[in-house]
Amino acid sequence: MLLYSQPLELTKLVHSLDAFFRSSLSPFWATLVEGILIGIAILAAYALIALALIYIERKIAAFFQSRLGPNRLGKYGVIQSIADMIKILIKEIIHVNKIDKLLYYLAPFFVIVASVLSFGAIPFGQSLQAVDFNIGVFYVLAVSSIGVIGILLAGWSSNNKYSMIGAMRSGAQFISYELSAGFSLMTIVVLSGTMQFSELIEGQRYCWNLFNGHIPAFIAFVIFLISGHAETNRGPFDLPEAESELTAGYHTEYSGLRFGFFYLAEYLNMFIIAAIATTVFLGGWMPIQIKGWDAFNQVMWYIPSWIWFFGKAFVLMFLSLWVRWSFPRLRIDLLLNLEWKYLLPINLVNILVMVIIVLSGLTLADIFPAVFGK
Amino acid sequence: MSFSKYISGIYTGLKSLVGGMMVTWKQFWSKKVTMEYPENRKTLVISDRWRSELIMPHDENNEHACTACGICMRNCPNGTINVISKKVVNEEGKSRVALDKHLWDYGMCTFCNICVISCPSNAIIFNNDFEGAVFDREKLHHQLNHPGSKLREKKKTVPAAPKTPVAPASEATEATRPTPSVVTAGTSTSPADNKTDNAPKTNPSGNLSNEHTDKENN
Amino acid sequence: MTEQIIFYILAIVIAVFSILAVTSKQVVRSATYLLFVLLGTAGIYMLLNYYFLFAVQVSVYAGGIMVLFIMAIFLTHKPGIDVNPQDSWKVKSSAVLSLAGLVLCGYIILNNVTRVYRFVKGDELQMQDIGTAMMGTDKYQYLLPFEVISVLLLACIVGAILIARKDNGNDENINKLD
Repeated sequence: MLLYSQPLELTKLVHSLDAFFRSSLSPFWATLVEGILIGIAILAAYALIALALIYIERKIAAFFQSRLGPNRLGKYGVIQSIADMIKILIKEIIHVNKIDKLLYYLAPFFVIVASVLSFGAIPFGQSLQAVDFNIGVFYVLAVSSIGVIGILLAGWSSNNKYSMIGAMRSGAQFISYELSAGFSLMTIVVLSGTMQFSELIEGQRYCWNLFNGHIPAFIAFVIFLISGHAETNRGPFDLPEAESELTAGYHTEYSGLRFGFFYLAEYLNMFIIAAIATTVFLGGWMPIQIKGWDAFNQVMWYIPSWIWFFGKAFVLMFLSLWVRWSFPRLRIDLLLNLEWKYLLPINLVNILVMVIIVLSGLTLADIFPAVFGK
Repeated sequence: MSFSKYISGIYTGLKSLVGGMMVTWKQFWSKKVTMEYPENRKTLVISDRWRSELIMPHDENNEHACTACGICMRNCPNGTINVISKKVVNEEGKSRVALDKHLWDYGMCTFCNICVISCPSNAIIFNNDFEGAVFDREKLHHQLNHPGSKLREKKKTVPAAPKTPVAPASEATEATRPTPSVVTAGTSTSPADNKTDNAPKTNPSGNLSNEHTDKENN
Repeated sequence: MTEQIIFYILAIVIAVFSILAVTSKQVVRSATYLLFVLLGTAGIYMLLNYYFLFAVQVSVYAGGIMVLFIMAIFLTHKPGIDVNPQDSWKVKSSAVLSLAGLVLCGYIILNNVTRVYRFVKGDELQMQDIGTAMMGTDKYQYLLPFEVISVLLLACIVGAILIARKDNGNDENINKLD
């Protein structure tokens, strides 16, 4: 019944593939082949989403500046980013003298590996999740923190004072804002009682966490968006690559594909932040469901879960781009002020408020169990 | 900093952020100012003051006003102009200097307009035929005088500059244009010999706003 | 078999990079090698299905402490310069010391490996178990208050800053005396 009612869902395909490999290969080889296939799928999705994001970002940025954006290559310029990708692939990699060669070549990989690792744990749709750790949220926070080491090493090994200043700024910024991002996610972990992405999504079937935890959840959501935005070095928080003062910041000396790694990771980190916010606050891939309205729920399920996921994530990414093209860059002391004097104290109080709300049964699901209950 | 100040600071901060985002939201839906160039050639308006290609106006008798004095050549800051003169004998038996070839290098010209300003007989002007790209560098070397042309006899009025394929600026912009401050010899008031370089931009819509690549963040 | 292959890869990575970390002449490089050691350890936790410990290892050591290490190294005088080798007797004595440590640890582990096996459960450790172990009040629980004592460390750091900081009033007095 469920499969019949969800014609565009990929669940059946994934399960039949799994059954096929399990039946025709020994367990070791089946695991290996499936691992390789999942790896290829994740890397392909990574590259494709990056290409789409670059196009979307350029288009939206242009619209915010009263321009048209790319519009020459293909209809409305849709294949512009593919052309850019080919360009960056065939670009010369410029070798720089007097750098720390090992660290210089290593640094982009740190950034991209951290990004891919956290990308891999995101639930894109029903049964479209590579691994479902029971520490899902914590895992994503942990592996994304490796990326800043790549940025620091890139800045230092380039032997360039602009890169160095950019890297130091990035380090200070990342360590600070990671705290806020973690705490705001923990607020929701308090609310939902689990860190596992699949359980988080299941728990939000009839009421998104954003509404279930009302005031503290909303504060946590805003703080997560701000600190996630800052962690990706974008928008008003792009001091590490402030081009007016630091040429290009930590990736000044990088060219060709190595620069492409930083570029790709930056765009994907934006997506990852949006995806985590979607999963934790906005119900992930779960379609909008209302208790009792079975016909309505059935219609909602006709839209495949991955479209729900990408739709919600796109709204958040649009918000991120909107912020990015609205505000001027912060000064470094104001940036740290914002985190340590505002976001972090508010966050700590917020967690306390959330604990009180959960313990005293004041969540929406507790107040209106007939409408929002699980 | 008192606690109430802290809270009110957060409130005003959030309010100003939302206000700023509303401004960009309006901008997002506004009409885009980008002009898509090859598609809009029919309606494209280039300012008359736009200096594109140096030309020597010829009248219907294939006569020009250049006396081959060479002032433009000497005044040119980077040797773009080369005036080659020849000796001709007129009906009265006097030998006089006349223009053989007025050569101008499109590729080297900086469009500073000094040659036009300094020309005593207003023989050369800049037109606004801006599509000057060619595939062969040799094609950038222009000879301004037409073959078989000769110097116009005196006491003839200089014809107006020929209209280029591109539509001229509107009358409104003509009216707001400041009058030339430096007047050289001659009574010409052809629209193209504007002498003021620091005049304010009169026709912003005429400027081609090219597509910017938006990778500024990198 | 898969687990053994992965274990050997991780073990080799940890061993090689820990040797590199102490033999490298550049401070930043040895910090990077140390990072690989920490990540390899995290990998072993993951192999044991201790995902929580894996995430703690990555976020605290790789993400937190290593970033602080690297930033502190950046702040030192000429971090890029090669460190001269120490006196040979220092190298030798530290080698002997570390070998002695290896022998001691190896002996203990070899003799207790069967006992350790009893405590290692093969299945995945649930977050809820960790939570109850931290906050519960039964036997082998109530860990968190014990951990909270580590706040003492923070107090020590704050105290150190207070002691080290020059008081503004004192500064003025010194200036006056000058």
